[in-house]
Amino acid sequence: MIEFVLNGEKVSWEGPDTERLLDVLREDFRLTGVKCGCKEGECGACSVIFDGELANSCLIPMAKADGAEIMTIEGLRELDCFRVLDRAFAEPAAVQCGFCTPGMVLAAYSLLKKNPHPDENEIRDGLSGNLCRCTGYRAIVEAVKLAAKEGGKW
Amino acid sequence: MVRPENLNDALKTLSRGGMTICAGGTDVMVYPPENARLLMVDRLPELKLIEDLGDAVRIGAAVTFTEGIESPIVPELMKAALRRIAAPAIRNMGTFGGNIGNGSAKADSVLIDFVLDAKLELASIRGTRTPDIDKFYLGRKKLDLAPDELIAAIFLPKPKGSWYYEKVGGREALAISRLSFAGVIDVRDGVITSLSAAFGAVADTVLRFKELEAMLTGKSLDEARAMKPDFIAAYDRAIVPIRGRVSETWRKEVCLNLLRDFLSQNGI
Ligand SMILES: Cc1cc2nc3c(=O)[nH]c(=O)nc-3n(C[C@H](O)[C@H](O)[C@H](O)COP(=O)(O)OP(=O)(O)OC[C@H]3O[C@@H](n4cnc5c(N)ncnc54)[C@H](O)[C@@H]3O)c2cc1C
Ligand code: FES
Ligand code: FES
Repeated sequence: MIEFVLNGEKVSWEGPDTERLLDVLREDFRLTGVKCGCKEGECGACSVIFDGELANSCLIPMAKADGAEIMTIEGLRELDCFRVLDRAFAEPAAVQCGFCTPGMVLAAYSLLKKNPHPDENEIRDGLSGNLCRCTGYRAIVEAVKLAAKEGGKW
Repeated sequence: MVRPENLNDALKTLSRGGMTICAGGTDVMVYPPENARLLMVDRLPELKLIEDLGDAVRIGAAVTFTEGIESPIVPELMKAALRRIAAPAIRNMGTFGGNIGNGSAKADSVLIDFVLDAKLELASIRGTRTPDIDKFYLGRKKLDLAPDELIAAIFLPKPKGSWYYEKVGGREALAISRLSFAGVIDVRDGVITSLSAAFGAVADTVLRFKELEAMLTGKSLDEARAMKPDFIAAYDRAIVPIRGRVSETWRKEVCLNLLRDFLSQNGI
């Protein structure tokens, strides 16, 4: 039996050790804000916060999830700082098809939590594991700058 | 799944066989072995420590790249290589031990282990041993690691003198390094007291040629400058690149250019 904390709630799960956290979150816990884009760690659509750090849930075997604290975009939505990120992403049209957005928002959150006033390079590095096919990144970088300017309790 | 509380329990479990060691999972999960039983070492307290030993640093195998970058003790040369690894999410999960266990000549932290003559601490219920990193890599994806052994830590000497690091990648952040170079040189009163140069992702393992490095040790900077063409030519003969996606001649040319640049930045 694998036990972990998911968006603040204790949960348990049973299955193969190497089942991907990504699949379990989407299929067993119905958290569909976690997206699947590659299953190779290349796109960041499956991003979660794992023990306080940004991680690709497609590369996390359920055995590793045991004893961990995991937050998905659904959990972040409950935090006050989400409103700052939400507004910031809406303003410069940083969302088009929206597929990359949950991962981008989590990457932005994770960056701002460590570094509340990142410069352009730090923002680009912070988002470097998250691919977007629509926006060309400019607007997303602007959104993170905006969120940093407004500030929040990250 | 087994998640041992301490190293001893982990080694006992490992000795019974049938388990795959897993730390960050960033390599294991690219092609997850079916029905594998994972021995989780990611939170083993003995593998999570970074210690300052004076001339060297002991880095626990389960320390992540992010923890390495954030540590005040880890040498800047290592951090320069860590910062160039993929993206934050990979650096947050990927570990020093996993980078070695992966066995690839492209592993970015391993290049630094080679150039600084790191030793590994390997543990099993039979005891521990501390092989030199270059003895541990036997060939392409071949490691001197017994089935009941795990990597407990890396002993990384601190660089003496000045260092140089360069990674030439495909796509900036994510592509696994196609080619990387690290050099360390110590010059005292105009005389080279030590020099080391390592090339990553060129051959089956990281390349170092200690007999060529010896050409310049003990020489003055003037003598070294005069010897530079011969020195580069010797590397040109010694480096035998593998056939990769990037052409062999290109790989070798980049290697030699990085070596030249390393020397000129140090007045040679
Ligand atoms: C998208 C992506 C980008 C990447 N980019 C880079 C890059 O730029 N540079 C780079 O160097 N690597 C890169 N990697 C590879 C990988 O992230 C690293 O090799 C990382 O160090 C692996 O560590 P881990 O803890 O995740 O290993 P795991 O996946 O947990 O393990 C890897 C291997 O080592 C073994 N192992 C783990 N810990 C131990 C131990 N303590 N003792 C003995 N064996 C052990 C495992 O059994 C397994 O065979 C990338 C991977 C992905 C998916
Ligand atoms: S699905 Fe995990 S990184 Fe693409
Ligand atoms: S908005 Fe479509 S992938 Fe980013």
